Amino acid sequence: MSTAATVSPGARFIDPKVLVRIGSLELAARFVVEGFINGLHKAPYLGISVDFAEHRGYMPGDDIRRIDWRLFARTDRFYVKQFEADTNTNFSVLFDVSKSMSFGSRGVTKLDYGRYLAACLSYLSSRQRDRIGIVTFDDDIVERVPPSAKHFDVTLHTLDKIVAGRPGDLGPPLFKATEFFKRRSILVVISDFYEEPEKVLDAIKPLRFAGNDVIVFHILDPAEVDFPYDDSSSFEDMETGRKMAVVPDKLRDEYRALVQDHIRSLGQLFSRNRIDYAFLNTKVPLDHALFKYLAMRHKMTKVR
Amino acid sequence: MSFLAPLFFAAIAALGVPVLIHMIQRQRTEVVEFPSLMFVRRIPFHSLRRQRVRHWLLLLMRCAALVLLIAAFARPFLRSTALAAVTGGSREVVVLVDRSYSMGYGGRWEEARDIARGVVRDLAADDEATVVFFDSGAESSTRSTTDRASLLAAIDDVELGTGTTRYGPALQLAQGILEDSDQPLLEVVLISDFQRVGVDSAGSILLPPGTVLTPVSVADDDPTPNVSVAGASVQRDLFADRERATVTARLANRGNEPVEDLLVSLELNGRELESLRVSIEANGPATVTFDPFTLEDSAMPISVRAAADRLPQDDVYHFTVAPGDIVPVLIVGKPGNAGSEANLYLRQALAIGTSPAFAVTERAISQVTAADVTAAGVVVLNDVGLPDGPIGAAITRFVEAGGGLWIALGEGVRWPGDNLDLLPGPIDGPADRDGRGGSLGFVDYSHPVFAAFSTPRSGDLTGPRFFRYRPLSVGPDTLVLARFDNGDAAMAEHRFGEGRVLVWTSTLDTFWNDFARNGIYLPFVHRAVEYLADYTAPTSALTAGQVLDLSAYPGAAELDLSSPNLVVRDPSEDRVDPGSDGRPGFIGLQEQGFYEIRDTDAGDTDPVLVAVNVDLSESNLDQVDPQELVAIVTGRAAGDRTIGEEREIRPEDLERRQTLWWYLLIGALGFLATETVMSNRLSRAELDLD
Repeated sequence: MSTAATVSPGARFIDPKVLVRIGSLELAARFVVEGFINGLHKAPYLGISVDFAEHRGYMPGDDIRRIDWRLFARTDRFYVKQFEADTNTNFSVLFDVSKSMSFGSRGVTKLDYGRYLAACLSYLSSRQRDRIGIVTFDDDIVERVPPSAKHFDVTLHTLDKIVAGRPGDLGPPLFKATEFFKRRSILVVISDFYEEPEKVLDAIKPLRFAGNDVIVFHILDPAEVDFPYDDSSSFEDMETGRKMAVVPDKLRDEYRALVQDHIRSLGQLFSRNRIDYAFLNTKVPLDHALFKYLAMRHKMTKVR
Repeated sequence: MSFLAPLFFAAIAALGVPVLIHMIQRQRTEVVEFPSLMFVRRIPFHSLRRQRVRHWLLLLMRCAALVLLIAAFARPFLRSTALAAVTGGSREVVVLVDRSYSMGYGGRWEEARDIARGVVRDLAADDEATVVFFDSGAESSTRSTTDRASLLAAIDDVELGTGTTRYGPALQLAQGILEDSDQPLLEVVLISDFQRVGVDSAGSILLPPGTVLTPVSVADDDPTPNVSVAGASVQRDLFADRERATVTARLANRGNEPVEDLLVSLELNGRELESLRVSIEANGPATVTFDPFTLEDSAMPISVRAAADRLPQDDVYHFTVAPGDIVPVLIVGKPGNAGSEANLYLRQALAIGTSPAFAVTERAISQVTAADVTAAGVVVLNDVGLPDGPIGAAITRFVEAGGGLWIALGEGVRWPGDNLDLLPGPIDGPADRDGRGGSLGFVDYSHPVFAAFSTPRSGDLTGPRFFRYRPLSVGPDTLVLARFDNGDAAMAEHRFGEGRVLVWTSTLDTFWNDFARNGIYLPFVHRAVEYLADYTAPTSALTAGQVLDLSAYPGAAELDLSSPNLVVRDPSEDRVDPGSDGRPGFIGLQEQGFYEIRDTDAGDTDPVLVAVNVDLSESNLDQVDPQELVAIVTGRAAGDRTIGEEREIRPEDLERRQTLWWYLLIGALGFLATETVMSNRLSRAELDLD
């Protein structure tokens, strides 16, 4: 697993636990993204959306730094420069809101982590004038916000009111979601992927059929990875409700190996199918996730 | 449902402990919510799935098996009347069969056995029965059995006894059997001729509540004529220096009809010596005196047999007559008529004795010879002193050697002063009692001479009046047997050498007292002479049912009881173990007739004969109403079966009969077996899954 030390030295790390304390999702996203971008000014990835598309009239609220002063000098009017990347992409988050996502051992649930991740990515995308949408699902589609340039707030609102309560199943809802993305989109799938790797791939793969770029964020809690339990306890599957008495000491090593094997298998399968896959541990700051995302977007831009 | 041992259910609490602990632990254990157990489930051997109840059915079956086991140990039973009716129909039947010899009357015995067989055959499959044969005692071959064959065999094998009817022991045995029984219905079938003589013994018996006593009488309703030989006495005398015996038999007619010309015969060793005919009035006695016969040197087996009637057992009386049962008595009196008169009462009293007989020789003091003294067993100095000279010395030697001397102190007694050894003390001159005279004020009834008068109405020794006596000065060591009411000695005993001396301080005639005219005079004289002669009466006959103690039997004194060669044969010529009851020398006399006892190592010595007769009380065939007997031992009238049906069955009996524990045990085993099969299959299935 990656750690903070492996992230770019310029990145500013914000503990997810701190984010949780910020009530406003937008504020938190802005806090993260702005800090992230400021920290990246020396990074080689700047200007990913600098391809000029058109000018549009200045509107109050626009960053005055984006005013094309040259054009002002010629026309004596304020125009703002718009870039191509800001406008031609749909950005949708497919967020797994199944019951298992509500697990969190450190005060931050996977759902929270995913929520901030989705908010940050949406914010990031909205800054690039992407059309923002979101689909939440468990074993079915729970809520859907179609991608739109005006749907950033709706998306945040949707993220804000998410409640994880039902068992999840990747296949049926994602298959249904393929119908929503007729236009090429950037699809970010956020889930804990408690399915067999092959089944996960079978569920994700159709999302790429319309030329979508699919980025998969596999979120797990540290407890799910390390299995730090000591006492023999009755473990209850949050989704099925099935209980099982477990002696953690006896199975910790095997469990860890199985989880790592699962992560490795998912990575290999997604890689073979040209799907970007990132494993996120909720103890890792969101900056790291954003860094991974931008690295992937950069790769996409290059390919495109 | 009730339980005999409900405390066993405390074990159920123990059964619940692991389950309880499990439940408590389950509650106390914090459930850890985990997103998915997908990976955990793949790890087969390190989960604690066994701590969780996965197979409720198996748990329930195990618990049910244990509960059934515990319930079985708690010994359950049902009190429901329906079940009791199903399981409570069997009976405990005790068949009491009278085998006293009165049952030999006519065909009673066979009839009784047939009835007993019928009762046994009519038993239901579940009924338990005991056949008890009784006369004066009771015995059963097999106790509380359902094996009819053994019961019938016992009935076939039993023989008529020689004892008397006593219902007590039989009913007591039945009482014990019924009290030990767990059967709901208790029945006693009493097959008997219901003689009245046997009822007294049943007075203290009370059968368990609810017992149905069914009397079955085999007695005839008609009058039962029966003549029995009630006994025989032997008059002995000497004829030509040989002892002769004259047998007089007593007969009793127990019937309501007179018996004419009944043939009664005297048998010696089974051979008839003489037969006589006798007529007996209804319910009356008769005596038959046979001609005398000379006794042999050994005991002779004599039987008096009447012509057989319907009850043959009491038609014969066996006894033995041994020689030597005569006590020779030498009476030394005053010469002439005076002596004859003084000896009159004494002579007459001694002439009457039969057992023993007294061979009296009278001699005047001047005519007595040393040979007379030597031939005597007892010497009586009746109103004479000790003769002088050799005769006196002979008497002294006689006493010293073990002879008996009776001194009656009268007017004419002059005792030589140089030979006072035979007297307990000096004698004074005659002392008179005024008025009505004196009487005996103290009598030592423990002494053999007076023991016969110790019981009430056996003679009043204070009746005779004594007008004159010779005061006898006795020392402190002298045994005074009787004293007058003034304290002077009336009779004293003195030991000299091996012999005994009795001193009677008055006369044995009527001159100084009226004792000789009193009814107790004769037995007094007999006892005194027998005591002086150290006489022990031979036993002529014993009664069936008695135990013979050979060591105390007069005729068997010379037998070596510890000898392995001691042979006892019963009247049936069968050999009897002389120590059959574990004590050597004791023989149970069960048969009527003569037992022979001999030591085969003793050469040609004559055997010791023991005559055994039936108890004649059994000859009284008077009957009691069977219902009366039933009322005595059950406390209610016969035929009342309702009480039997209402008998309250003890819980122990109910439980033992229902044996519900057995079914519970089978159920528990069934559960365990099913659980084993199921758990094996489930284990295999889980192993396959893993």
